Amino acid sequence: MSYRIDPEFRKELGKFGVGSEWSECYHCGNCTATCPLTEEKILFPRKGIRMIQMGLKEKISAYVEPWLCYYCGDCTKTCPRDANPGELMMALRRYLTSVYDWTGLSRKFYTSKSWEFGFILFFAALVVALFSVFLPLRPDAEQMVNASGGVMINSLIAGMSPSTFVSVIEWGDWIMAMIVAGLLISNILNMFHKIVLSDHSVRVPLRAYFIGFWKLTFNFLTQARFSKCDNRNYWAGHLLLMTGYSIMFAVIVVLLPEFQTEEVNPWYHWQRLLGYYATFGILYFLIITAIGRIRRSDINLRFSHSTDWLFIIMLGLTTITGILVHIFRISGLPAATYYTYVIHLAVLVPMILVEVPFSKWSHLAYRPFAIYFSELKKAGKPRTADIGLAPAIS
Amino acid sequence: MEEPRIGVYVCWCGTNISKTVDVEQVTAAVSKLPHVIIARNYKYMCSDPGQDLILKDIREHQLNRVVVSACSPRIHELTFRKVLVNAGLNPYLFEMANIREQVSWVHDDRDIATGKATSLVKAAIQRVAHHEPLEKRRVDIHPATLIIGGGITGLTAAMEIADSGNQVHLIEKSGRLGGMVSLLHQTHPHLTAGNELIQPLIDKAQPHPKVRVWLNSQIEEVTGYVGNFRARIRSGEEVEELDCGNIIVATGTKPFDPSQIPEYGYGMLPGVITSLEFEEMLRKGKIVTKDGESPCDIAIIHCVGSRNMEYHPYCSRVCCTTALKFANQIRAALPDAGIYQLYADMRSFGKGCEEFYMRTSRRGVIFMMFDQKGKLPVVKPNNTGGRGRLLISTRELLSGEEIEIPADLVILMVASEAREDARETAHLTGISLCGNQFFIEKHPKLDPVATTTDGVFIAGSCQGPKDIADSVSQARAAAARVLASILCGSVEVEVTTAVVNDKVCCGCQTCISVCPYHAIHFDEEKRVSEVNEILCKGCGTCGSACPTGAIHARHFTDDQILSQIEGLLSPITLKAMEMAMED
Repeated sequence: MSYRIDPEFRKELGKFGVGSEWSECYHCGNCTATCPLTEEKILFPRKGIRMIQMGLKEKISAYVEPWLCYYCGDCTKTCPRDANPGELMMALRRYLTSVYDWTGLSRKFYTSKSWEFGFILFFAALVVALFSVFLPLRPDAEQMVNASGGVMINSLIAGMSPSTFVSVIEWGDWIMAMIVAGLLISNILNMFHKIVLSDHSVRVPLRAYFIGFWKLTFNFLTQARFSKCDNRNYWAGHLLLMTGYSIMFAVIVVLLPEFQTEEVNPWYHWQRLLGYYATFGILYFLIITAIGRIRRSDINLRFSHSTDWLFIIMLGLTTITGILVHIFRISGLPAATYYTYVIHLAVLVPMILVEVPFSKWSHLAYRPFAIYFSELKKAGKPRTADIGLAPAIS
Repeated sequence: MEEPRIGVYVCWCGTNISKTVDVEQVTAAVSKLPHVIIARNYKYMCSDPGQDLILKDIREHQLNRVVVSACSPRIHELTFRKVLVNAGLNPYLFEMANIREQVSWVHDDRDIATGKATSLVKAAIQRVAHHEPLEKRRVDIHPATLIIGGGITGLTAAMEIADSGNQVHLIEKSGRLGGMVSLLHQTHPHLTAGNELIQPLIDKAQPHPKVRVWLNSQIEEVTGYVGNFRARIRSGEEVEELDCGNIIVATGTKPFDPSQIPEYGYGMLPGVITSLEFEEMLRKGKIVTKDGESPCDIAIIHCVGSRNMEYHPYCSRVCCTTALKFANQIRAALPDAGIYQLYADMRSFGKGCEEFYMRTSRRGVIFMMFDQKGKLPVVKPNNTGGRGRLLISTRELLSGEEIEIPADLVILMVASEAREDARETAHLTGISLCGNQFFIEKHPKLDPVATTTDGVFIAGSCQGPKDIADSVSQARAAAARVLASILCGSVEVEVTTAVVNDKVCCGCQTCISVCPYHAIHFDEEKRVSEVNEILCKGCGTCGSACPTGAIHARHFTDDQILSQIEGLLSPITLKAMEMAMED
């Protein structure tokens, strides 16, 4: 199969936050040689640079390798032409996210700030509006303090019983989770189609799908591949963030009745301990990366796209408002608790809706699935003798 | 003739000779031969102490003949002849025996090698006894110069020579001066206009009092020798003869015809043009397809006819940088066009050219490598829709992918090849041709503009594909060589020539028919043959053909050769052969 050159592709990629430094690349292969993650059949970033230089748009859509890179930045450090291969991989991840997304929104969010901010503000306003119309603060909210001095958080709504309020929020959570999961799963199927099914050069045996599955789970939980990168500090910090985030997500969606209780539990209660761990994990890594992006100290944080910052700010705001809700609750301040709770949701909801299916957070699904898909391809038998590796140039 | 007093010197050449040949034994074996006064061996005869050794011996022992047994005479014969001159002897009273290339480097057996070396030295000793002193001769140089080719090389050489006050005859085959450079819109890497380079030269040359420009003219015959050539020139119906002392050949090259390569579809597909046709388009000021439309995608295919064993094995040297220049010119004219370079290897050598490549690569030009040794790219009409009237399909080596490149215009960077009349020009002027029909220089490194014919020089791309800078350098180098010989006024000629003994010559003219250098003519008055000693190269063909023995070649007389053979076949050799048989 031959691929058609698309000279416009370079312009398109430019919108995803990468300059044209990659056009300087003269294919010495230092980047591939220095990368601790490249394997015999998974060669990057040089091959990717070549595809971009030539504008092989179709081929890039089927390119799984950017997801297998965790951006330690060694390639950029050793590049003799300053072609910045590490950041190119980053930009490709943004681009590929938009390729997998069939709604076209991802592309809009990455390439237009007004679309992204507009979307976020719309959902923030929607949350605020819903609360003010359907879930207003009860006039005698100041009395909703329990015996131990904590705010009874589920009793703050005018004309609504605590159990109904929890159910409303729980329903809202589940609907949001379903929408996000639906989008994400359809995008992963799209990714599967582009990466595995469209590649006619390999035939994947059925059992490979089962054997590869444990790698998916294992990598999702441990991010073992990330740990092979030279900067293990990032892996550890990232693992804290990931586990913290996952715990929070599980707690607010699946375990909401146990989490959002009228009673303030003692500090050693499992619900509070999990909350503290998650808060610490998220805050720790957020602060580290925010400082890194401001100082531009490490190569992987030197170039920041607007979406990188937006992600940090949204998650930071969600975490801070969450902490404030907690403080106001145990301090027995019902009105402050209510208003911060509304703000908390007004940040959280658009963040989940924008980031998880369409933007940076989609990598939580794409990365482990990319490992899975590449395992499938590795297990696949070539249909022809030629598997498309560049011949040695004599 | 005085009694020969011969000194023999056997060289070790470090271990080059001494490891296989017992130099002590050779020295001892020849030291007792008749006329040998002294025989020595030394580590390096060619070194200063080695030369001093010979010089001292000549003076001390009143030697009048010297034999050095060492390496090839091609390397050091002149060195040792100079020693003889310094000692006050005639340089021709010297003979060299080659016991390195002919013995130590080609034999393993020490005994056989030593025996053979001894025989060779003995042969040289026998021969040198018959050597006669010869005197070098000089001939005057005619101050006019004939330059063939009116391109930038010929014009530059012409101006250099004419400005110094010497007459130049500039012969141009076509009806205009300026050659290939005047066809170029701009030149790489500085994007100077071709016309800007060539027009001032033409304007200066045409009215120059010392330059005579011959347009629509061709050389018909060249006779004579260095310093005294006579050329017959035809301009239309008229034929004129002129004298000159030196000749510079600067006939340039011609573009390769790409219709020989079926993959590229030149001549069949209207969007496929050559680099020179594109230059013409640029000179006219508009980049357009055959239909007069502005092309969206332009592909440039490199190495068309170059570096391909089926066409020309060599690199044409200017195409890569010209292709880069095209990319810059296209980008300036069509900011949004897709520009694709299909190369086999990028060779942007030369001052400022790598930087030019770098700059070009930043201007949105896509570089793709194809396999010159494998399947060439194929240009075909685009029947599948999308961009480009044409599609080029190839395997791109840096990605390993089969790709298709859309193009409305395909520029073929055609090779430079020798002109169709290169063989004829070479024959007329006594130049040799290489396998690619380019003219061969005397020495590729040390004598790049001279040829094996004295007084005939080559410059520019007739010697091999070249850019303007290199052609101009060669033009000035050739002019310097010519001016040096004019300034010298006369030139030294070889004396090891044939001579006719007119008392014995029967006038059969056999010698004239066999002489490869047209050096013998027949004196009608005396009815004998006569050798032109300047044209004669001393090959000896006439001497061996002469039925009456009237011709002898100086330094290769019958006496000398026969005694050399005698020495070679003397008992020492026979003994060595017997030893070899016993083994």
